[in-house]
Amino acid sequence: MASNESGTHGAILEDSVPRDADAPIVQLRNAGKAYGNVRALHGVDLAVRPGQVTCVLGDNGAGKSTLIKIISGLHQHTEGEFLVDGGAVHLTTPRQALDRGIATVYQDLAVVPLMPVWRNFFLGSEMTKGPWPFRRLDIERMKKTADEELRNMGIVLDNLDQPIGTLSGGQRQCVAIARAVYFGARVLILDEPTAALGVKQSGVVLKYVAAARERGLGVIFITHNPHHAYMVGDHFSVLRLGTMELSAERSEITLEELTNHMAGGTELAALKHELSQVRGVDVDELPDEKALKAPVAASPEGTV
Amino acid sequence: MDRSTYSRSRRMAPFVAVAAAAALTLAGCSSSSGGKKSTEDSSGASAGKASTPRMTVALVTHQAPGDTFWDIVRKGAQAAADKDNIKLIYSADPNAGNQSNLVQNAIDQKVDGIAVTLAKPDALKDVIGKAKTANIPVVGLNSGLSDWKKLGLLEFFGQDETVAGQALGNKLNSIGAKKAVCVIQEQGNIGLTQRCDGVKKTFTGTVETLNVNGTDMPSVKSTITAKLTQDKAIDYVVTLGAPFALTAVQSVSDAGSKAKIATFDLNKDLTTAISKGTIQFAVDQQPYLQGYLAVDSLWLYKNNGNYSGGGEQPVLTGPAFVDKTNVAAVAKYAANGTR
Amino acid sequence: MSMTQHAEPAVTSPPAPGPKETDGRTSERPLALRLLARPEIGVFLGAAAVYVFFLIAAPPVRDGASMANILYSSSTIGIMALPVALLMIGGEFDLSAGVAVITSALTASMLSYQLTMNVWVGVIVALLVSLGIGFLNGWMVVKTGLPSFLVTLGSFLILQGVNLAVTKLVTGNVATDDISNMDGFDQAKKIFATSFDIGGVNVKITIFYWLVFAAIATWVLLRTKYGNWIFAVGGNKDSARAVGVPVAFTKISLFMLVGFGAWFVGMHQLFTFNTVQSGEGVGQELIYISAAVIGGCLLTGGAGSAIGPVFGAFMFGMVQQGIVYAGWNPDWFKAFLGVMLLGAVLINLWVQRTATRR
Repeated sequence: MASNESGTHGAILEDSVPRDADAPIVQLRNAGKAYGNVRALHGVDLAVRPGQVTCVLGDNGAGKSTLIKIISGLHQHTEGEFLVDGGAVHLTTPRQALDRGIATVYQDLAVVPLMPVWRNFFLGSEMTKGPWPFRRLDIERMKKTADEELRNMGIVLDNLDQPIGTLSGGQRQCVAIARAVYFGARVLILDEPTAALGVKQSGVVLKYVAAARERGLGVIFITHNPHHAYMVGDHFSVLRLGTMELSAERSEITLEELTNHMAGGTELAALKHELSQVRGVDVDELPDEKALKAPVAASPEGTV
Repeated sequence: MDRSTYSRSRRMAPFVAVAAAAALTLAGCSSSSGGKKSTEDSSGASAGKASTPRMTVALVTHQAPGDTFWDIVRKGAQAAADKDNIKLIYSADPNAGNQSNLVQNAIDQKVDGIAVTLAKPDALKDVIGKAKTANIPVVGLNSGLSDWKKLGLLEFFGQDETVAGQALGNKLNSIGAKKAVCVIQEQGNIGLTQRCDGVKKTFTGTVETLNVNGTDMPSVKSTITAKLTQDKAIDYVVTLGAPFALTAVQSVSDAGSKAKIATFDLNKDLTTAISKGTIQFAVDQQPYLQGYLAVDSLWLYKNNGNYSGGGEQPVLTGPAFVDKTNVAAVAKYAANGTR
Repeated sequence: MSMTQHAEPAVTSPPAPGPKETDGRTSERPLALRLLARPEIGVFLGAAAVYVFFLIAAPPVRDGASMANILYSSSTIGIMALPVALLMIGGEFDLSAGVAVITSALTASMLSYQLTMNVWVGVIVALLVSLGIGFLNGWMVVKTGLPSFLVTLGSFLILQGVNLAVTKLVTGNVATDDISNMDGFDQAKKIFATSFDIGGVNVKITIFYWLVFAAIATWVLLRTKYGNWIFAVGGNKDSARAVGVPVAFTKISLFMLVGFGAWFVGMHQLFTFNTVQSGEGVGQELIYISAAVIGGCLLTGGAGSAIGPVFGAFMFGMVQQGIVYAGWNPDWFKAFLGVMLLGAVLINLWVQRTATRR
């Protein structure tokens, strides 16, 4: 489990995964999900490649949660295709997703607050020793492994027996990411990891996203913060009202464009027009309509 | 499809085999002693049926669910109902307010007669008045010896628990008991409290009450054992229900005590214990008779205007004592669950 | 779509850490205080306080036979308190646990008697029935998502009614018939309801079963995968499901464990008293839950132990019998019981607070 990066910035780093293995690990083709008469998601195209960070942005209610729940096995898609390693799948339980190497770190962190750190680390995949029916937990090994893995990610904890609820938000996120990486995730889905964190802690989390990428994982980074997304992303998709409004590589879009797109460019332009009627408001600095263009996804917006 | 039914039947095969094996094992596992086969048919007494028009009688008591004593009252009432071509509606609630609601319910159903127990006479005063306004005759049984006339009941059968308790107290005096413990299985139950109070009134020795958790028999056993250990002077354990007397036998043995046991009410196993001598005697208030007379009296009143006691005196059904000398006569009926 | 053309991301991986460094902000609390902070120690001290109190206030308690009686009284509560505690750690309640004991005893008794079968047949069928009731409770809770408090309140009422009505229907009475002269009774009695002589004191077998079950429950809870699942499912059900813990299986099996406990205590009761009163059992579920809560199990789930409820059950038995041994006014029995329990729980709380504050 040792990482093989050299720790230098800017140098071409040796990947643990061969460069031409560019085939997407997880792919959604025109996927969608309807709950009864409500179409929460439709016409979504997404490809997650090893060693790449795909950012999924969108405001609240855009369908980001539904999207990850489909990929992580909590829900099933009702339209389109969901492909893992090129083959179509219908995941019914999170266990199935985990078995295929798709690990999710949820917003509410999928940890049990009252349980100790090491128990949380190995929850669902506990190490055991001994013959049945006396198969018992290998507590020594689990504590040692958890400690090692956390240190590898840069987290040092004095006491692994402390309930995980006593750690700070950022630390908890990192434990969850370290857990996913340890258990051989090939695809790591991070559900708004920086949403509830301060600036410094967000920085720490972003460092681990990059660390995961460098280990050859494909990362899906869900956020509504374009600045964070631009710091680590290789590909950006913007969800709005259940469908993909924007899908661009890093080379095709700038941070400003992304931000403006996310900020609901047209509405802001209209707002700017109204604000200009009100005395005392300086609207010169606000972007005008021409600045708010960005490459748009091919499929038209449907109605929800 | 053929293949699916074939594979389904192959999957079902092990289950069928297990079920068959289980059935065979069960068939071979019968008991060579005891059980239902060895007891005689015990359906209780039955007689012909009157040819008078069908009437409805409501019997409303303060029974707590699962109580043995009241179950026998109900059996007596049902026997009279069967004989007299009566439809018996039985309802009960230990809470007096609820009991009065049940009586109101009977009035609303326009029954031909009501039989009630007056554990808390004040709570039933109003609703009995309503019954009289509706021209429904009301008789009393079991509780309310001193109140039935005041409340305007037609007749009364049985005696108060207090009277039964007093009788037991006198009996204890006659056999020279010095210190008794009265075991109450449900603290706050009026009937049970009255029994112990009755004993206290007449017994010349000391009576202490002991509250036990009647819904947990192991706890009853432990608590009686504890009491007998704490107070070695106790020479009589008085229980207020047949099952508790049988448990007390185990407690006495556990505590290594020399105390003897007496109880209120009978049941099948109790008569065996009395004839063996592990329990000294039981007070039999003849609950079957109380229920029977109460229902039958309403039939008599309806069809011939008779009422026992002439509105002046109650009809006492006991208490009778059952001990080694006369248990044999009663045992058969106790086995039926009617004594 | 390759990685080489994009602008260098601002963030790269963190540097490898140095030799075993520590966070440094937490110093080790002395062992004694660390022990005191554990919930089991708090209830142990509470139980010890109650015991010492009655040793002083009630001279008969000092006798070995009295202790055996107290332990027996605790054991019949304690055996049920264990699966109820495990279920509570798993985040659910079972209000039907009290009457389920009686259902089990009634089933075994009536089946054997009415069909004139070897008593063991009744015992095995009662086990299947009890496990079935547990399965139903668990399945309903899991499938409907309703609070288990509500679901098991329903099953409590149903079982209470069924106990009364079916007994009346089948036997014609409110209690079952005597099965002590049937085949297999003596054997079963030896297993479920016998007692031993230890140093001149008569000790009932349920005490041993209680302690053995407690040891097994502790081992399962702390040292097995399943135990980890129990904590997880009670602490945060959704997190547990998200990481692949089989939530439905865990919860349903916990309810079935309560069913097993009900069967065991029911069998003990049947073979001790021969006949079963159909109206019993009501109210016992609160005692089991109390023993679990006094023993440190959180009402909201996710935390607790199997050792704590052992002391909780002991406390119950000790107080219940101790009041009698002390010869206090029996009218005040229930009030005394409540006061002593509250006192014990407060001691428990005080100990925990003090230990974690220092």
